[in-house]
Parts: sequence; structure tokens; C-alpha cells
Amino acid sequence: MTIQARSVTADPQRADAGRLRLPGDPGPRLTDSRGAGRVGRVLSATLLAAWFLVPLVPLALWAFADRWSFPEVLPTVWGIDGLESSIAQGAVPAFWRSLLLGLVVAAIATPLGAAAARALTMGTVRWPRAVGLVLLAPVALPPFAAVMGLNVVLLRAYVPPLVGLVLVLVVIALPYTTFAMRVAYAAHDIRFEEEARTLGASPWTVLWRIHIPLVAPALARAAFLAFLVGWSDYIVTVIIGGGAVVTLPLVIASSAAGIGNDSAVAILSLTAILPPLTLLLLLGLAGRRSARPRRRRPDTDPVDPRTARSPRSRPHEPGATR
Amino acid sequence: MSLAPPRGRTAAAGRTGLRGTLLVLPAVVPALFVLVGGIGAAVAQSLGLLPLIGPVRLSLDAYTAQSGALPVSIAVSLGIATASTAIAAVVGFAAALVIVSGRWGGRIVATISAATVTVPHLIGAAAIGLLLADSGLLPRLLGIDADAWPRLVGGPWWVAVVAEYAWKESAFVALVVAGTLATRVASFDETAALLGAGRLKRLRFVMIPLCLPALVVSSTIVFVYTLGSYEVAWLLGRSYPEPLPVMALRLFGSITLTARPEAAAVAVVTTTISLVVVALAFFALRRTALWR
Repeated sequence: MTIQARSVTADPQRADAGRLRLPGDPGPRLTDSRGAGRVGRVLSATLLAAWFLVPLVPLALWAFADRWSFPEVLPTVWGIDGLESSIAQGAVPAFWRSLLLGLVVAAIATPLGAAAARALTMGTVRWPRAVGLVLLAPVALPPFAAVMGLNVVLLRAYVPPLVGLVLVLVVIALPYTTFAMRVAYAAHDIRFEEEARTLGASPWTVLWRIHIPLVAPALARAAFLAFLVGWSDYIVTVIIGGGAVVTLPLVIASSAAGIGNDSAVAILSLTAILPPLTLLLLLGLAGRRSARPRRRRPDTDPVDPRTARSPRSRPHEPGATR
Repeated sequence: MSLAPPRGRTAAAGRTGLRGTLLVLPAVVPALFVLVGGIGAAVAQSLGLLPLIGPVRLSLDAYTAQSGALPVSIAVSLGIATASTAIAAVVGFAAALVIVSGRWGGRIVATISAATVTVPHLIGAAAIGLLLADSGLLPRLLGIDADAWPRLVGGPWWVAVVAEYAWKESAFVALVVAGTLATRVASFDETAALLGAGRLKRLRFVMIPLCLPALVVSSTIVFVYTLGSYEVAWLLGRSYPEPLPVMALRLFGSITLTARPEAAAVAVVTTTISLVVVALAFFALRRTALWR
């Protein structure tokens, strides 16, 4: 079967936009839905969007509701009581503490995961399957179980709670960073680095000028996942931190467990959602920006002839080999 | 192209040994320390080998002490995890199909589910509480009185807990399945359509087989996560019967001296169930057609 649909699927709508369709031009895809199927598709997309969005609606409403007596559908008195009460509960220092914890976890787990992933992908590790398994295992184990046992070990070894907390969160983040970087290195062409070495670049220059720029988008993704682990953790902070490290989730939990401070809970929750969303947005924008010039670089970038020649003939670009 | 150097991977493969090991060690050592140290200490503690005070004595007391409540907790935890995973898998699969369809609807669903994944579970629990409680947004919208509203939060069927897990994990399943599908599904789907396969047949013979490995892997992660997660069941659940993590944390924080080994025993039981589920999923995965 050589009637592969590859040439047909290259977004015919966009290609057709604004010009006459000629004979031989690709028409609409066979798999596009028409009539009742199209209605069903739009309906299911709408329902799914609602499924993901509806739980967040009460947060937005409660955040600025000073009073919201029961049968009313909208808040009865709007205001910023929730903001004041959440600041009084120590939201501001907790926010910075959480941010710092997330950044530290990301800063440690990303290079560790990247190094391990590179060695695993290049096939230079002894017992690669066992190593891969150890690095993926934290995802399969309940964190509270490992942390409960580890608490005794850390106490007897006189490890400070903060160090223990970062250690455990880094290990929980390692499966994500390792996996993200293994995917990236599978599509990474080591010959760029070998060529630079041949031309006399030192290992450091190769690392900073060739290797890291090439895997930068994947590094950003991995760091984002690791940040999420540190940012959203509750149970490890409770057990290992032992109350000494009060992060934003701890403030939210104590606020949500009480009764009558719904607007403070809503404000705190929105505060906890915003930083990851901002990072996700930045990640998306950066990804879009880096995707465009890379295709043009071979012709326009005179600075680096090594990268100028090869991308066109890259043998294992994702999608080319699989 | 014929003058190109040999492929990097084969050239690098010769350097097996020290360098690769050095690159892997900084990640493996802490992981092993937490896994072996944590689980090992929990096992030792549950068997009475690491008492806070008193003599070291090997016994199964910690496991039998909760013999009344432990089976109930196991059943509750398994029930919550099964229900959440089933809903998350179905909704996530549907969302993945919409995402890979590639239209604007798919792009919107992809963006929203990516945003949902970043929401911490604790915040999800707070939001679901404000939505489903008897004074929440849903009874207000539907105009149902607080007394007539079923007890979704803290009620007998754990509806709010399951809803939170299903909500957030369906976004995770959708992204994982869509991610593995996006690269190859379009050509297969189009080819099947060209050969005359209808909508249902394409779903049955193209989409589901292509999705199955990713679906099994992501569902397993969801199940194990739900089984071992504390904060949602603690915030939205009821005080009895307790899911395993809630029970373990209550015992862990208790002032009774015998409670610590009992908490460790619950942790060991939870870990064992998780490992069994992962092993079962692994064997199920090896039987799917697309594995390797």
C-alpha cells in the first residue's frame, strides 16, 4: 500500500485558504467528520472542555465573595475579605517558600535526570534495564509509605528536615525528568557534538554551545515537571518537614479543613494555580518561537557552520524514522 | 551522506563502563537511598525491628492489630482507585481522540487539559468541595435545597473523592495517549478510511489498538497514584471507613507507642498492592500487539 495519506494530511484547509482549488489539490480528509458526525464531534469537544473547566468556576466566584448565602447562584456581597484573610494566614511567605522549593527541586532533578537519560540512551551504562527501573520506580510506589520509613532513617542520621525534604522530592521528580530527557535524547544527534570536537572545541564548549542548546526545549519541559512536584507536594512536606517547613499547600490544607473560610481557600487556590499556568504558557510560547527559526537556520545563520550544514540531512529527526 | 562518520550511538557504545556509570550514579544513589531506605525501614518498623523504645522483637503484631479495620480500608482504597481509574481512562481516551482529530476543538481541549494537569490535587480537592458540597455551586445552580442534596462530600459513596481523581487524572491520560497517538495515527486512520472502514470500525480496529499500550501505562500510573494519595480522600472523604493512606497517617500521628509500627504495616500493605498492580499491568502490556 503506497497510498499513504502523508501528503494528504498536511493540513489541506490551511493550504487551500485564500486561493482557488485546482484539480489535483488535496480535498478534505476522508477522516473529517461531516453532518451528524461533525455535530457529535463539536458537542463532545464542548462537553470535554466543560468537564475540565467547571470545577474551577467556584474558585473564581468564591475568591471575591465576602458573603454568599445559600440559595443564591452568585455571591451576594463582593469584596476582598478572602485576600486579607489569606494574607493573615501567612500566604505570602508560604508562597515564596513553595516557589523556592519547586525551583530547587527542578534545579537538582533536571541535570540528574538529563545525565542519567543521556547515559542510558547512548548505551554506555552497565545494567541499563535495572538502572532505568530504579529511576522509574518512584512513580509506582505510594510516596507516603517510603517517606514514613525514611523519616526514621533521616532522624537517626541527623539529616535536617529541609535537606531530607528536597532529597525525597528530587527522587519523586526523577522519573519525570529522566523520561522526558530519554525521549529527547532518542531524537538527539550526537554527531553535532562529535563534529565540534573534531574541529577542536573543548568538551565544555561542546556542552555549552552545542549539547545544551540542542536539548534546551526538553530541559525546560523536564524542569517544569520537576517544579510541579515540588510546588504541589503536600504529604512529603507534612511528614518529613514535620511542620517546620510551611509551604502553600500546607496553608491551603489547614484553611480548607476548617469551616467558613471558603473565600480564603479560593484565593489561596488561585494563587497556587497561577505560577504553574504562567510557566506552562511561557513554555508554550518559547516552544513555538524555537520551532520556527530552527527550520530557517541552515541558510541564515553564518556564525556556526557546523549546525548550518547538517540539520537538512539529520537522519533521526523525530517522525523521520518512526 | 556516504562519507558521514559512523552513527554516534555505535561509536559511543564502545565506551561502556566508567563514564556512563558516573553519569547515572548521581540520580541512582538518591533514588536507591529513598526507595530501599524508605521501604526497608517501613518493613523493619512494621515487623517490630525499629521500635521507638523497648526491646527489638520480631513480630507480626502490627499487622494483626488492625485486623478489623485493615480489610475494610483495603476494600475502600481499591474501590476508589478502580472507579477513578475507570472514569479517567474513558474520559481521557475520549479527550485524546478529540485532541488528535486536529481541529480547533482538539486544540482547545489539549490546552485545557494541559492546564488541568498543572493544578495540584489539593487545590482540585478544594475546588470540587466548593462545587459538590451541599452548599456548593452545583446545588445552587440546580436550585436544590441543601437538605435534599445527596451527600457527595463525605458521603457513603466517596463521590467527591472519585470525581476529583477522575477529573484531574483524565487530563493526564488524555495528554499521554494523545502524545503517543499524534505521531502516527493520522496516516493509519486515513488509510483505513480509504479502504472503506466506517467510523466505528476505525475506532475498534485502528484507534483502540494503537491507544492500548499508552492507555494501560497511564491507567496503571493513575491507579497506583490514587491508591497512595492522601490529601484528596482526607479532605473530601469521611472519617470511617478510611482509605489506606488516611489510616496510615492517622496512626503515624497518634501518640500511642504501638501506633508507629501499625502505620508502617499499613504502608507496607499499600506498597505491596501497588507492586502487584504494576506487575499485572506489565504482563497485560506484554500481551498487547504493539509492545516492541
